[in-house]
Amino acid sequence: MSVLSVRNLRVRYTAKGPEILKGIDFDLESDDFLAMIGPSGAGKSTLIRCVNRLVEPTDGQITLLGQDVRALNARDLRGLRRNVGMIFQEFNLINRMSVMDNVLSGRLGYTSNIRSLFRHFPKEDISQALDYLDRVGLSDHINKRADELSGGQRQRVGIARALMQQPKLLLLDEPTSALDPKISREVMALIMGIAKELGVPALCNIHDVQLAKEFCNRIIGLQDGVKKFDGDTATLRDSDLEEIYAMEVL
Amino acid sequence: MTGQTTAAPQKQKLTWSRYSFPESLWSFGTLLAVIVFLGYSLHFLNIDILMMLGAMGKLGGVVAARFYPPDLAYVTDPGYLASILDTLQMSFLGGILGVFLAIPLAWFSAWNVSPHRKIFFPIGRLGVISCRAIHETIWTILFVSILGFGMLAGVSALTMFCIGFAGKLFSDEIEAVDMGPVEAMRAAGANSFQVFIFAVVPQVRVAFTGIAIYTWDVAFRAATVVGFFGGGGMGWYLKRNVQQLENLRVGAIILSIIAMVLIAEFISGWLRSAVNRAK
Repeated sequence: MSVLSVRNLRVRYTAKGPEILKGIDFDLESDDFLAMIGPSGAGKSTLIRCVNRLVEPTDGQITLLGQDVRALNARDLRGLRRNVGMIFQEFNLINRMSVMDNVLSGRLGYTSNIRSLFRHFPKEDISQALDYLDRVGLSDHINKRADELSGGQRQRVGIARALMQQPKLLLLDEPTSALDPKISREVMALIMGIAKELGVPALCNIHDVQLAKEFCNRIIGLQDGVKKFDGDTATLRDSDLEEIYAMEVL
Repeated sequence: MTGQTTAAPQKQKLTWSRYSFPESLWSFGTLLAVIVFLGYSLHFLNIDILMMLGAMGKLGGVVAARFYPPDLAYVTDPGYLASILDTLQMSFLGGILGVFLAIPLAWFSAWNVSPHRKIFFPIGRLGVISCRAIHETIWTILFVSILGFGMLAGVSALTMFCIGFAGKLFSDEIEAVDMGPVEAMRAAGANSFQVFIFAVVPQVRVAFTGIAIYTWDVAFRAATVVGFFGGGGMGWYLKRNVQQLENLRVGAIILSIIAMVLIAEFISGWLRSAVNRAK
């Protein structure tokens, strides 16, 4: 059974506004590292945010880890979200907190309000955080404030934070767009390595086709809210790319 | 492509104006309406501009004759000095209580991170607005009628005032936070309280501290008025002497209030800039 299955997904932000996603269908298998490519404004970010309902879909069905995502109440939705690690384009770290606190914040879904108020996380969480910080190569920066780090280092904090959730799925929203090409490659390699190691599938928005081809086993092409391509990376032809990016040649 | 441009008819003269027709009508119409209303109000009040200017000089004379020399011995009396301390304590208590109660209300009433937009948001908004809607003197009158004369009524009135004052500023500050961390915490499965503690508080901490200090500063000024209406402290002395027509004492009290407010303003300004430097 697939980890994530999306059927006829439609989104409008306002009742009379334009339809951002126009009936998307796809499945994500447990060993997929799936790239979602497409021009700006194609609906990639909206689609990825529908999976954990940061954006409310207007219509359609999303089944994630065997649960009907759209039917969940607030509490169950939080329970589902903590199984889904998310990594963001702009890192979305808490700048005025230390690297350690940022990483620990990935455990909030498992932490009581009282503990959260005093930032008093269990010992196991702290040792887990130290392990992941070591894994992403930030052991020397544990007590620094997040805004003292470079872009690549910040994204590594974001990765460690997502891993703290013990995710069963990774959502990556343009994880490398804010980074230079060399760092982008390193960060993608790191994420893919960890995903393979932990056996976690990933859904990755990315506009850099080269990186997508290099790291992802499957590609979905999105254009103006419509799926234009869905297949293994090896089967993606230049003509497909031309079709996906057709509207950008203006 | 080039063929089309050359084939175009003779070049149209380009024009530009800041306001095109319908907008210009609106903006100039509004300006005209404001001026007309201003003129009407002045006319209605029947203000004689020349007499007003003349009155300034007379007012100076009256003040000099009635309030000079101020009775400085009166304001250095231990009883009065104690009332200054009372006023200070009142503003402090009211400020601290008000700020602490304002924080949850501000959180409720910030649309972007409110724990529940249909339940807590209106509660928070209504709480802050009702504290603001009623002036601190009216709060004092209300609390004096419930709790009797004295500092308890004064502190309660100042607390309400501070909730309204700080609550509004706090919630504006919360609504301006970067939503990135908020989204990240939500995505990690955090509830709205955890989102507030982790994604909002670190972003507004410095601004909140500045606002809290400013709130105390304003509360101190309000505390002198609160006393006048029965809340205790310096204002109470002011009222008594005004009623007894002890003008020289009134002059001295007003001078002492000005001095204290200036000191409070100086301290608050210094603290706020220290906080800003520390961020």
